[in-house]
Amino acid sequence: MSVDPKRNSRRHFLATNAMSLGSVALASLLQQDRAAANSERLKPEPRTYSLDPQPPQHPPRARAMISLWMQGGPSHIDLFDPKPKLNEYDGKTFPGEIKYDNAAQASSKVLASPWKFAPRGECGTELSELVPHLANVVDDICLIRSMQTGVNNHGQSIQAMNTGQILTGRPVLGSWLTYGLGSETQELPAFVALIDPGQLPVMGVENWTNGYLPSLYQGTVVRPSEPRIMNLTPPQRLKGKAQQQYLEYLSHLNRQHLEQRQGELDLEARIASYELAAKMQTAAKEALDLSQESAATKRLYGCDDPACKDFAERCLIARRLVERGVRCVQVFTENQRWDHHGSIRTGLPSACKKVDQPSAALVADLKQRGLLDSTLVHWGGEMGRLPVIQNDAGAAKVGRDHNTYGFSMWLAGGGVKGGMTFGTTDEFGHKAVENPVNHFDYHATLLHLFGLDGEQLVFEQNNQERSLLEGKGRVVHEILA
Amino acid sequence: MTRTVRSRPRFAPSKIVLLGVVSATIGVGAILVGTASRVAAAEPSAASAGDTDRAALDPDTVTYEKDVRPIFKTHCFHCHGEAGVAESGLDLRLRRLVVAGGDSGEAIVAGHPDESPLYQYVRDGDMPPAEVPLRPSEAEIETIERWIRQGAIATEPEPEDLDPDQYITQQERQHWAYQPIERPALPEVTDPSAATSPIDHFILARQQAVGLSLSPAAERAQLIRRVTFDLLGLPPTPAEVQAFIEDTRPGAYARLLDRLLASPQYGERWGRHWLDVAGYADSEGYATEDPLRPHAFHYRDYVIAAFNDDKPFDQFATEQLAGDELLTPPFENLDAEQTEKLVATGFLRMAPDGTGIKGVDKALASNDVVAKTIEIVSSSMLGMTVGCAQCHNHRYDPITHKDYHSFRALFEPALNPKKWLPPSRRRVSLYTDADRATAAELEVEAKAILAERTKKQNEFIEATFQKQLAKLDSALHEPISAARATPAKERTAEQKQLLKKHPSVNVTAGSLYLYDRAAANELKKMADQAAAVRARKPLEQFVRAVWEPVDQPPAETFVFHRGDHEQPTTLVAPGELGVLAPPGGVPIAVDDPSRPTTGRRLAYARWLTSGKHPLFARVIANRIWLLHFGQGLVPTPADFGTLGVEPTHPELLDWLADEFTANGWSVKHLHRVIMMSATYRQQSGRHAKGQAIDADNRLYWRMPVRRLEAEALRDSVLAVSGDLNLKAGGPAVPVMANKVGQFVIGKENLSAGRPGAVLPMHNEDLRRSVYIQVRRSRPLSVLDPFDMPRMEPNCTVRSASTVSPQSLMLMNSPFVLKASERFARRLRREAGDDVETQVRLAWRLAYATTPSDRDVQQAVAFVQAQTTHFASLPKPGKAAKSKTPPLQPADEAMTSFCQALLSSNPFLYVD
Repeated sequence: MSVDPKRNSRRHFLATNAMSLGSVALASLLQQDRAAANSERLKPEPRTYSLDPQPPQHPPRARAMISLWMQGGPSHIDLFDPKPKLNEYDGKTFPGEIKYDNAAQASSKVLASPWKFAPRGECGTELSELVPHLANVVDDICLIRSMQTGVNNHGQSIQAMNTGQILTGRPVLGSWLTYGLGSETQELPAFVALIDPGQLPVMGVENWTNGYLPSLYQGTVVRPSEPRIMNLTPPQRLKGKAQQQYLEYLSHLNRQHLEQRQGELDLEARIASYELAAKMQTAAKEALDLSQESAATKRLYGCDDPACKDFAERCLIARRLVERGVRCVQVFTENQRWDHHGSIRTGLPSACKKVDQPSAALVADLKQRGLLDSTLVHWGGEMGRLPVIQNDAGAAKVGRDHNTYGFSMWLAGGGVKGGMTFGTTDEFGHKAVENPVNHFDYHATLLHLFGLDGEQLVFEQNNQERSLLEGKGRVVHEILA
Repeated sequence: MTRTVRSRPRFAPSKIVLLGVVSATIGVGAILVGTASRVAAAEPSAASAGDTDRAALDPDTVTYEKDVRPIFKTHCFHCHGEAGVAESGLDLRLRRLVVAGGDSGEAIVAGHPDESPLYQYVRDGDMPPAEVPLRPSEAEIETIERWIRQGAIATEPEPEDLDPDQYITQQERQHWAYQPIERPALPEVTDPSAATSPIDHFILARQQAVGLSLSPAAERAQLIRRVTFDLLGLPPTPAEVQAFIEDTRPGAYARLLDRLLASPQYGERWGRHWLDVAGYADSEGYATEDPLRPHAFHYRDYVIAAFNDDKPFDQFATEQLAGDELLTPPFENLDAEQTEKLVATGFLRMAPDGTGIKGVDKALASNDVVAKTIEIVSSSMLGMTVGCAQCHNHRYDPITHKDYHSFRALFEPALNPKKWLPPSRRRVSLYTDADRATAAELEVEAKAILAERTKKQNEFIEATFQKQLAKLDSALHEPISAARATPAKERTAEQKQLLKKHPSVNVTAGSLYLYDRAAANELKKMADQAAAVRARKPLEQFVRAVWEPVDQPPAETFVFHRGDHEQPTTLVAPGELGVLAPPGGVPIAVDDPSRPTTGRRLAYARWLTSGKHPLFARVIANRIWLLHFGQGLVPTPADFGTLGVEPTHPELLDWLADEFTANGWSVKHLHRVIMMSATYRQQSGRHAKGQAIDADNRLYWRMPVRRLEAEALRDSVLAVSGDLNLKAGGPAVPVMANKVGQFVIGKENLSAGRPGAVLPMHNEDLRRSVYIQVRRSRPLSVLDPFDMPRMEPNCTVRSASTVSPQSLMLMNSPFVLKASERFARRLRREAGDDVETQVRLAWRLAYATTPSDRDVQQAVAFVQAQTTHFASLPKPGKAAKSKTPPLQPADEAMTSFCQALLSSNPFLYVD
């Protein structure tokens, strides 16, 4: 039998990257190689999946994604989408139709934005005074002002933005990306969810679910406190020497057992897999260790400011993970942080304070490290807010209800044009009217940037081919660099 | 060689050739497997014997039936012959049709391949058309060339009148698996003393032909660990090991087997094996909603009980296929025995089923359920992959498209897509008439409370409305009240506008809580009271079952053109696959006049279990062998067809099948016969000679070393740590997502989609894995990495992978850490405070062996080193809410030792 160079390289790969095997047995593969060498026979085996890097279908612009997920629905008309008409109608009856989420507190009175907008950067995109740091990188972002999902509550709209459909049980974007492309690191999880120390976002763990894809593609949660990654790192008291001594003793038990069972490849493979697991722990610890970052970098993100320290650190970790080959990182704000049904005058500035500096710093930092070209940054939530008042109980108490018919989000890097806005809402900022971008369009564009064809990236379940787009969505070529 | 059978991720080809759903999935896998089975006919070295009829053929003569037809069947029939399609007028299904040629003249010129258009097209890659992904191999093309060159020979008379679609060649009929089962004589062996059972004769005969022999018998400690895991899926206790080692009376081993086979844990272990092939799940799957099947557990308990009671397997199979036909409808006031027969039909309700899910195409989904049910039945009981014949004649096996639909007709009167019962309506209540009367009384009481509640609710709404109204300009009061009092449909445009402008006055039952929390709470209290009354009703149990309606004519089954349920063609009668049926066929009436139902499934079950069926007994015996040895005599347990691997020991397989049938279909008898053999009792070590001659151990010169399956692993961790809850049966222990999205045992308690407080499980979380809910979309995070199968629709053979997530689970998961801590507490409780004594006990509990003195020294040294380390750390604070004090350094060290044992290979593998 002739020597197959592919097979040799595969064996080499397996020896060093057992994590990437997914549900493939190292031993059975080695055995299979040998069996094939002996008898040219192949054994039928169950379907297998792995996190090995996979070539995209066409040359990609983006290699990694960082999604800053603003759960609750940031008020686009107070941050990104200035509407002079609101000032004109301030306190007067809204002239059109409105669908409310909360009838008890509903009002038909228009609320002008309490904050000032001004043109920023060379591009002159108008931004609110609430996001001064974003203004510094506005020439690198593409602000989409015509987002819509059309489903007016948090859970369903989150599902739409994450999975394309309002139903639960489907894979989220990060799972699709890792399914399609694998991971460039085998020592770190391919898809990471950096959760807030507060409550989980609405829909909880559905935000990083693999749905019907194999569980290999599930997002791995990095918690804000120890143990940072479930099962990856031990509880505090077992860290370091305690676990090292345990692993040494375990290895002794395993080797002694193997001595009497020479030739059992599976036993050898398990010893190797413990060694790789230990390596993963080291890699994760290193990736999450911010002490390696300079004081200047930490200041850039706002790690020294208690108002944004936590979010800043997670943005910095996100950058470190992407540098190390992680495919997709999502950074979540806590449950309903942006859901300003009331007291928007205090709530919105505080939410902005938490994320504005870190988000802008992430873009600037990626750019100065030459990573922005290949890293797509997404900033946004599942909805925007209505132009009218909710909770008309005095200036300090007023807020805005849900609006999924028109809202804003921004993208940066990864093959997206900087310094531009795309799409518009009507003059009150209620509905997207020009170049609307729905969640399918967003997904189609994103997959395209990663070199994937959304129609062809499919998974078969019960003889049905399933995909993220399910035949919908268009690539928004207008925003591609 | 490709990396895996199926590449990942799957990019759909931009142009799909419409071969129908099933044929499209043959794809890559079939190419590999097909090639494999053809080139791999040679078994380990010279050992392959017994292929006499194959050897009798002149290997140089290429014939149509033997060599060429299978190639045409795989690559050409779809467009040239099948289902009335003969493109260019060319039909390749018989030699004479090939010779007759097509519209453009002759296809072949016998003796002259280069003048034969058929050969030229195939050679040049013009046929099959370029877009067909499955290509003939070079060897296949060469075979066609040789066949034409040698004169295009056929050796069998070809049918003149028969529908060529139904034509099965003699060559195909001669496949080993379709031959009747005959009990072979025991082969002669040179050293009969090496054999302790008839099985050994078959094994030894093959071994001695190549110079191998059985390995010596395993030590008793090793043996009891092997048989206890094998039969119970649990480790033996130190006392059991001790007793077995010290039992010097003759028959100690047979007594050990008797004890284990009588244990209730036996049924949980072997029932789980059958649940794999039955595709057992506590949820419907199919779509992402994955609704629960709250009543499926009765079937799981039925299976476990059947194994424990050693229910004769013919009866077991019959009840599962046709338990309802053993009863007389209507199914009311059922006794235990009748209930059991109905529960058994849950087998035919295991397929993933999306027909109860909103938005699903019901016609497509119900036909899918029937197809998947056929897949489950055929892969579990027939060892055949009939699914390929759903859209066209099977490409490799002699199963015709029509055969498939005749088989489908067995089930269609009960699983009728035209009169489909959605999941919620396919249940039979076990309520008796007395239960019903009690329930009715309580319902009256509950309704009264609810009526009172509705009254209150209306009062609250009115009061709230008045309050909201008062906030508005008084001039508006009257018009708004009037608008609100007007039924919505009759309101004038002005009234509508008025209400829209003042949205806060639109108080409804649904929005009341937004205005008046106290009122909402009061209403909820009343609703709770009503619920409490209803909760006092006798618990109504349901059976998820299959039955045929008695008040309508039986469903008709049509052949679906290319498998498309929207294109029915010819009506077919129920029947066995042609190649499996005896001469004269199987007597299955279309509608048995002596029964209230058609009797089709019962008639089929009777034939299947008659002892004359060529596959059933072989398939079951092979499966039992596979579970004992980790490999089947037929290595492909769900495919005994031409794509499967031929048996390594065909005579032994037949002997086992006959032994099984002849002994009342007793599974426990078969266990004893197999486990008493020297083959089963030998050691697992490798030696150079065996490795050189038969590295894959196809000849059983040693016992394989096997990893514990997911369930056995979890159960053993719990057993060793002393906490396993052996409660049997009942509703599934629920699985939920925890705060980081891992699937853990627990009652779901969501608040706005997020996990809420953790509810107490009352030791339900410590039950055996077979009782944990099998929610298709929620594989338990502890079991998943260890190859727990996903049921889509069933699992015919498990894999045993070795991957890092397993290691991480054993190193760091709360499940293993907690179990290790309990294990350490148990050691102190049972062995006292002396570390050495604790170590010795731990070793015996986890490994079922006695440690050497050196093992003990090393273990003690490890515990001491860990104690020193933990003592050097700052003292741990008492965990909030924790009732137990923090562990002392010595206990932490012992916990670490226990964890090392539980995560080590000596614990994870069985010799």
